[in-house]
Amino acid sequence: MSRRKRGAAPGSERFADAPLDGSLLEVTDVKTQFKTPRGLVHAVDGVSFSLERGKTIGIVGESGCGKSVLSRSIMGLLPRNAVRHGSVTFEGREIGKSTGNSMRQYWGTQMAMVFQDPMTSLNPVMRIGNQIMESLRFHFDVTKDYAEETALALLNSVGIPEAERRLREYPHQLSGGMRQRVMIAIALACGPKLLFADEPTTALDVTVQAQILDLLQEQQRERFMAMVLVTHDLGVVAGRTDDIAVMYAGRVVERAPTRSLFEQTRHPYTEALLKSIPKLGQPSHSKLDAIAGRPPDLVKPPRGCKFAARCPYAQPKCITDEPELVDAETPGHAFRCFFPVGSQAGAEALARNLSAGETATGLPVRKEGEAVLTGVTV
Amino acid sequence: MQVIVRRVIQLIVVLVVVTFFTSILTALLPGDPVTTIAPFSSEQDRANIRNQLNLNENIVVRYGKWLGHFMTGDMGREYAGTGVRGQSIWGRIKDSLPRSLLLMLYVQILTLLIAVPLGVYTAYKAGTRLDDLSNGIAFLLLSIPVYVTATLMLLFLSVQRHLLPTEGWVSLGSNPVEHFKHLAMPVLAITIGQVAVYARLLRSDMVATLQEDYILMAKSKGISDRRVLWRHALRPSSLTLLTVAGLNVGQLIGGALIVEVIFHLNGLGFAIGDAINRRQYIALQDYIAVVAIVYVLVNVAVDTLYRVLDPRIRGARIG
Amino acid sequence: MLESADTELTAGSVSAAAAVEEPPDEVFEKRGMGVLAWIGIGWLSLVVLIAILAPVLPLKAPMVGDYLHPKAGLFSPGHLLGSDDSGRDVLSRVVWGARASLLIAVGSIAFGTLIGGFLGLVAGFKGGLTDTVLGAFFNIFLAFPQLVLALTLVAVLAPVKPSGGASSGEWGHRILVVILAVGIVSVPLLGRITRASAISWSQREFVMAARAQGATSRRVMLREVLPNVVPAMASIALLGVAIVLVLEGALAVFGVSIQEPNPSWGNMIYSQLSNLNSAPAVWIVPSVLIFLSVLALNYLGDVVRARFDVRESAL
Ligand SMILES: Nc1ncnc2c1ncn2[C@@H]1O[C@H](COP(=O)(O)OP(=O)(O)OP(=O)(O)O)[C@@H](O)[C@H]1O
Ligand SMILES: [Mg+2]
Repeated sequence: MSRRKRGAAPGSERFADAPLDGSLLEVTDVKTQFKTPRGLVHAVDGVSFSLERGKTIGIVGESGCGKSVLSRSIMGLLPRNAVRHGSVTFEGREIGKSTGNSMRQYWGTQMAMVFQDPMTSLNPVMRIGNQIMESLRFHFDVTKDYAEETALALLNSVGIPEAERRLREYPHQLSGGMRQRVMIAIALACGPKLLFADEPTTALDVTVQAQILDLLQEQQRERFMAMVLVTHDLGVVAGRTDDIAVMYAGRVVERAPTRSLFEQTRHPYTEALLKSIPKLGQPSHSKLDAIAGRPPDLVKPPRGCKFAARCPYAQPKCITDEPELVDAETPGHAFRCFFPVGSQAGAEALARNLSAGETATGLPVRKEGEAVLTGVTV
Repeated sequence: MQVIVRRVIQLIVVLVVVTFFTSILTALLPGDPVTTIAPFSSEQDRANIRNQLNLNENIVVRYGKWLGHFMTGDMGREYAGTGVRGQSIWGRIKDSLPRSLLLMLYVQILTLLIAVPLGVYTAYKAGTRLDDLSNGIAFLLLSIPVYVTATLMLLFLSVQRHLLPTEGWVSLGSNPVEHFKHLAMPVLAITIGQVAVYARLLRSDMVATLQEDYILMAKSKGISDRRVLWRHALRPSSLTLLTVAGLNVGQLIGGALIVEVIFHLNGLGFAIGDAINRRQYIALQDYIAVVAIVYVLVNVAVDTLYRVLDPRIRGARIG
Repeated sequence: MLESADTELTAGSVSAAAAVEEPPDEVFEKRGMGVLAWIGIGWLSLVVLIAILAPVLPLKAPMVGDYLHPKAGLFSPGHLLGSDDSGRDVLSRVVWGARASLLIAVGSIAFGTLIGGFLGLVAGFKGGLTDTVLGAFFNIFLAFPQLVLALTLVAVLAPVKPSGGASSGEWGHRILVVILAVGIVSVPLLGRITRASAISWSQREFVMAARAQGATSRRVMLREVLPNVVPAMASIALLGVAIVLVLEGALAVFGVSIQEPNPSWGNMIYSQLSNLNSAPAVWIVPSVLIFLSVLALNYLGDVVRARFDVRESAL
């Protein structure tokens, strides 16, 4: 069988003219909908952010709020029933309209993804080595021996002992943490400039989680690679990101430099997420039950603020009008709320609700935070 | 190792039971079996037949003797009438079995050659018109019996257009062109239905496989769709293909027997039909036993192959 | 080929995404299965009806030749569906043939469903030694290809008469033998499905609960498990009838189905193999009937399976 060569290796010449300064990724008003029998699912609804080379942005939110769909929309890895709007520029090139065939030159070499569940994301009937070497051999004009050497080096660099033997093994012979390391090795194989890590640790033990996150961070620094770190746990991103975007029901509700987000939290949802960060040692899955209620139906999203139904600050205005993304004092900090946390308006709103015993949407509130934290499991 | 021993024992038990059943078939014949087999024969012939069938022994001894003869290939001859030497049963098996096997092999190869690309392609196109269309056609094809397909082909390709010979077997060695010309219709007649079975199952299996996380992962490496399909998606589904093959051996054998009769291919199926019509029950027992043994062995082979191919099972056995 | 055009490999194709999102009932309605299923039921009812009514329908005698009009084509005056070499009316033969073919198909599957269903239910419900023994029994019968087993049983239970038999007694006897033989073949198939289904239902909570409340096991088996096993049995039985309709033709190829001059769909097809061109209607008409009936049965079997979520893996 003759091996197809993809012209010149895309990593080298094609992208050589890209500017080295300025932002690597610009996401502007990206909207993604799925056509389903129930109607259009508005999974991502007008998200914008930008990311510079070598920086990390955290995307945080509950399950189902569109984090995975957002990263896949940026990469152009969407199923056939998806419709995507808005603009995505990568190194100044518009890729928001590109589909599979033209995106393939970016995948692997320019941007790569580490998936949520290492148990199901590796091909069970292919050897580890082949899965790592595959993209190398496909994208670059390299010999088998060279690819194997590279794969070996990669496995070593992601901290897999006895790499030589592992190359010949199948995924089921590896532990979950090892598999996630292999996934990272695969993603790094062709030296991408942008790495999407979609909840890379959710499926792993707590002790392994930190190791994997450290590994990602270390690799990212070494390779001067930008990273989009997706998680539902603010605790995970705390010390590891430059910026954080908090998503709710397909929208960014707050976006800020990491420090500012933690210290000057503006959005009630972010506040609720912060309060629900589990203490060390708690099982990682119990935490999100901590916010009472469920996210809205994405087929028929509510008219006003999407979070109003669960928000202890909610006022009548929140039900009818949707707040715009407005800037906070700190540069780069923006949020979507009429009655932000830590503001005069917010404090008054909360006080009003507390004295009434319920919010404008009928959510019962008693003393501070009570409604937000009902039903804490553990 | 233990697994192997257990499987071998299982195999032996099945073979014994199956051959036991065939060896006492004649006991099911209504009335005196000898009268049914040879209604107008002399006393001497009757005694010979009685002897050959071991009718005077009890069932276990009868099976033992039959087995002894069967294993040594000393199966005797068909009864052809007083004073006439019938055909050697072993000789007939020796000639006809390879033909039947070859026929089935051709069918299997052709089926996979057509069904695999078809199944992969329709899975790739799942949900489109083309997929609906090919699914519909496959469903229609599934409902056409082999003998109807064979008859239609005979009418259009042989009787009306004289494109292909209607019957007979030409060995590959003596004349390859004629060999394939004679086998074209029989093989196609079975293959059409089989393709529908395989392609449908492969498609639905691949559609499920294509939902897997590792397919999205493979895609995100930026490799071609072709590679994703053939390298990543087909491999796991090939195990399903093998399962189908196992379940389908019976259909395949049945199809082969039918076309052998229709196209006079002189394989084992033809021999069985012939034996039934000429009430050669002595020979029939042996032919049926051979078919059953082939069936059991092929199933075991499929099962073994399955274990070899699936690294998860393989790994489980080692570790 | 695969890389061309604007199509692309997608991890969640439309159909699969739809399957996940929609409740099963909607899948059923949306694809317009209803209409096709009704057409299928209509067709099968029609076939059954004409088979039952054969004696009172205004038909020519199926076994009497019309020597003035042999080999009539389709739509000839007097022979709506043509006639065969000796002028026997194809329409009449096909209607009377339906009687034989349907009797065999329905009869043998009824036999198999009763016996196989009972054995499978008991095996699956009781488990233990009963299950082991019955399971082994099923497996031994499954160690023969269906056609071979049916063929052998018919050939042995009713040896072919060199002269052929035309009497009505012969007809009835042979039908019985074929039903018995094919019925026996279908026992392990139906038994295995029923067993698999019974095993899974026997472990459900409500069955456990009924047992815990002290209901007799016979009562639990018949009242709690059986009703739930019926869909699986029904879908397989429908497919089984289809398989036997086809099988009857295969038996005819080997000359052991209904004997000439009596008609069955199978032997009408087979009787023409040596002279296909002379009166194609004789074999084309029953072929089409088999095809349509099998198609309808296969389709309905699928519908039942989809409706009741009978798992393929259980098959
Ligand atoms: N192929 C699809 N078809 C229809 N709807 C989809 C599809 N994929 C995702 N969705 C919907 O889009 C919404 C966002 O899903 P997404 O997977 O992005 O959530 P997430 O934030 O990544 O959650 P998690 O933390 O559970 O991974 C969900 O409501 C989901 O049901
Ligand atoms: Mg996700």
